Amino acid sequence: MDKSWISFLLPDDEYKEKKMLYFMAESAVLLAVALFIYALITNVELYGSSETGTLAGLSFVFLTGYVLVRYTFSGIEYTDIVGHNSYQKEKKTILFRSLMFLITFLVASIILKGIPADMEELLDLLGPSILAAVFMYFWNYISLKRSYQKNKDLLDD
Amino acid sequence: MQCIFDMDGEHVNNRIKIARVGKSLTQVQLAKKVGVTRQTIGLIEKGQYNPSLQLCISIAKTLEKTLDELFWEDQNDG
Repeated sequence: MDKSWISFLLPDDEYKEKKMLYFMAESAVLLAVALFIYALITNVELYGSSETGTLAGLSFVFLTGYVLVRYTFSGIEYTDIVGHNSYQKEKKTILFRSLMFLITFLVASIILKGIPADMEELLDLLGPSILAAVFMYFWNYISLKRSYQKNKDLLDD
Repeated sequence: MQCIFDMDGEHVNNRIKIARVGKSLTQVQLAKKVGVTRQTIGLIEKGQYNPSLQLCISIAKTLEKTLDELFWEDQNDG
């Protein structure tokens, strides 16, 4: 298996190496949870926004974002997508999922904020919703494309 | 714990593939039988992933081979 850049921090013994990886992962998850809770507490309306809370939030985004980026680009999400047909089918599924996300996002926003009264409010509602759905589609598409490429390389000859 | 596995040599990996084809199994079928994804079987056959001893045993049992037959590296192989 390809080694990661973190290999230089790990012991040569494979049992110890695996244990260390678990410990590091546990620590990262606990840190992410702590940062998330801290960011929530310090940014609630009661206290107003805080710089430390924002920093904690950004750190949380980095922690989770790093894992997501590595996971997506390693092409290990869609392990069974090999043929062109299944690839096209999955592409449609991703599109459908993104549309469902868009609808859910819009409905949730309307429930929380109410029906938009004017054009500006409507744009404020549609803008982030569409942006989030488009981002979701392209992110999943990248993951699918990477997985498809990787699986094709590993296919039966 | 991982199998003794020559990651650079094609021989060990080919043996798994030959044994699988000999049993008329596709990568998907073998993957299902041993409880991993097709990608993992592909990676093992290409020598890009070093399976755990547990997985090696599972593959050997499914393909009705011994660990030696599938994973042991002969002097001639290297």
